[in-house]
Amino acid sequence: MSDHTHMDWQHPLVLGKYEGVVLEGVSPKNLLLLHGFMTRLRMLEERISHEYHPANEMACPVHLCIGQEAVPAALSLVLQPHDFMFSHHRSHGYYLAKGGSLRLLMAELYGKATGANGGLAGSQDISLSDLNFYGGAILTGAVGISVGAGLSLQLQNSPGIVVTGFGDGATDEGIFWEAINYAALKKLPVLFVCENNGYATYSPQAARQARTNISEKVDAFGVPTVDLFGNDAVEVFRTLTAATDRIRAGEGPVFVQAFTYRLSSHVGPEDDGAVGYRSEFEKDAWRNNCPISLLTSALFKNKLLDSASVEALVCDVRREIDDAFAFAKASPFTDPIDWHSLNLCATSPLADRLLAEEDEYIFDGRQQDSIPGPY
Amino acid sequence: MRELTYAQAIQEAQFQAMELCPNVLLLGQLVNYSKAGIFGTTSGLIERFGSDRVQDFPVAESLMTTVAVGAAAAGMRPILVHQRQDFMFYSFDAIANWMALWRFKSGGKSTMPVVIRTVVGKGWGQGPQHSKSVHAWFAHLPGLQVAMPATPHDAKGLLLEAILGENPVLFIEHRSLFSMKGPVPELAYRVRFGRAVVRKAGTDVTLVALGGMIPAAMRAAQLMHTSGINVEVIDPRTIAPLDEQTIFESIHRTRRLIVADPGWRNMGTAAEIIATASEHIGNRWLSPPVRLTLPQSHTPMSKPLEAIYYPDEGAITAAINKMLQIS
Repeated sequence: MSDHTHMDWQHPLVLGKYEGVVLEGVSPKNLLLLHGFMTRLRMLEERISHEYHPANEMACPVHLCIGQEAVPAALSLVLQPHDFMFSHHRSHGYYLAKGGSLRLLMAELYGKATGANGGLAGSQDISLSDLNFYGGAILTGAVGISVGAGLSLQLQNSPGIVVTGFGDGATDEGIFWEAINYAALKKLPVLFVCENNGYATYSPQAARQARTNISEKVDAFGVPTVDLFGNDAVEVFRTLTAATDRIRAGEGPVFVQAFTYRLSSHVGPEDDGAVGYRSEFEKDAWRNNCPISLLTSALFKNKLLDSASVEALVCDVRREIDDAFAFAKASPFTDPIDWHSLNLCATSPLADRLLAEEDEYIFDGRQQDSIPGPY
Repeated sequence: MRELTYAQAIQEAQFQAMELCPNVLLLGQLVNYSKAGIFGTTSGLIERFGSDRVQDFPVAESLMTTVAVGAAAAGMRPILVHQRQDFMFYSFDAIANWMALWRFKSGGKSTMPVVIRTVVGKGWGQGPQHSKSVHAWFAHLPGLQVAMPATPHDAKGLLLEAILGENPVLFIEHRSLFSMKGPVPELAYRVRFGRAVVRKAGTDVTLVALGGMIPAAMRAAQLMHTSGINVEVIDPRTIAPLDEQTIFESIHRTRRLIVADPGWRNMGTAAEIIATASEHIGNRWLSPPVRLTLPQSHTPMSKPLEAIYYPDEGAITAAINKMLQIS
């Protein structure tokens, strides 16, 4: 697994249409689950985009993952309930991959009391501790945190593993390399998933990194790596299955780099094309290789899917999304707010059980403080 | 009662917490060197609990703190150790952007039981990158508790309370206190956060002293006593939360307040305590409150300059005398 060939992230630009979707070896059930997940995620993101303005009721930054559905779809099939998932700000795909509900997500985006975090976190900081899912809006801190969760699972002999999702931008940060080193050193059960979409906000990877082959660098730290075309959901599923099997077997961390592309803007539903950081030619090339259309045409070709079943799927998902938006809009805001208990836990059940109360004692006030010695 | 040094009390708190709770984990550079480790505060831990639970850590403080956050999110109770507070500034992102708001952004559902032990201050030429004490920075953050124990008894009780509690805690240990001896009960006990102690009752001046300033404050109170001035010495023990009531009760009687703070003056803890007290007592001060802090300067290395830099009991008695002359 440590052998890897670096694939240029501009792959579709070089090769044109991707023709490599191979369905063999993956059950029809899983193929349809991948397709269903990506369709649901895409429709959700498009609806958020549609509803965001002009009502402005979702008054929080929303980072859409249109075009990057394949990795979350594959994760949804390999993640177990006892696994941990740590996400960055572009969180919706990972959130759904860990089994989060649309109602809790949408109520959170609307800032409502019924949201996943009572409307305190929003899209980019959403978490569901019951499902071991944690988001966060500061780049790369979550990668370090995921390694800590891996340490905890290892020390507790838990069957769970940790998955941490991030982009190429995260690998600019020093702490990323500290985390990779530590995971390799301790052979921690952590899957590092880099969705390399080529840009940190608007800044292309080659403008930020002297050597753009991230896997080569990770490999040098002692973590095995795999590179692949990240819009082929079936291949991503195969790769993540192999990687997680290996991690579950106790063989330590794996780094997977999936080359993909964000068709949506960096943040919000507005088109950020006017910034001029990427060409229409580039966008079109990736649009022609959208993960959903690649899988859909392969499924049609193999007669695993037809127009009627797609229509039925779309209809079901639309109903679920309608319900989630209605739930979110009808829900109340949190009121009243208790700032103190939101920030600090007022109870300490373990200390109550294990510790005695403070004794009366005498402090000898006459004694001298020490003269600190060398070092 | 049995006496232990401050360092031994810290060692005992960790030892007992690790005995009581299998999820307690100690991470830090050199914590596994039993004899020389961290001023003797980690002696015997590696022998008893092994290298899984007492882990030497790479020289990567920002990772260490995020590892603690992740480990706590997945069920552990990590204790981190920084031999100098200066070293932990690499981890400010982990503290300010993750640890302190983990509970908040969960909507008040999650807990974050992490203790960061951090050694501060003074002496033997530590200079500007080995001696900082910036408790005020951390007490400024919502969602983080800050303890500054001044006695072996409080060091043990506050550390046990922190390790087995549910909130992130910055636990500040002053170098000048490590060899100080005091009575320490053998059982595992708690000192609750936000409860000050009156170390010496008095009627003329309230002297609030923090952490490493407590011994000097006690000696100063003794010296003033011989000249007939009754100083009340209050040790808040934790600055976040701060026991405001004990301070209010005292200043109602004395109507004079000096705060001895082993940190810098500007925007500091002494200023915060005086502001809080002033909001409470209004214009009933007998004389303006006084901050007794380090100069607004980085720490000098040389011995004579160190002696000037750190306020001692002489500085405190001088401040008290000046205050009483004014009023």
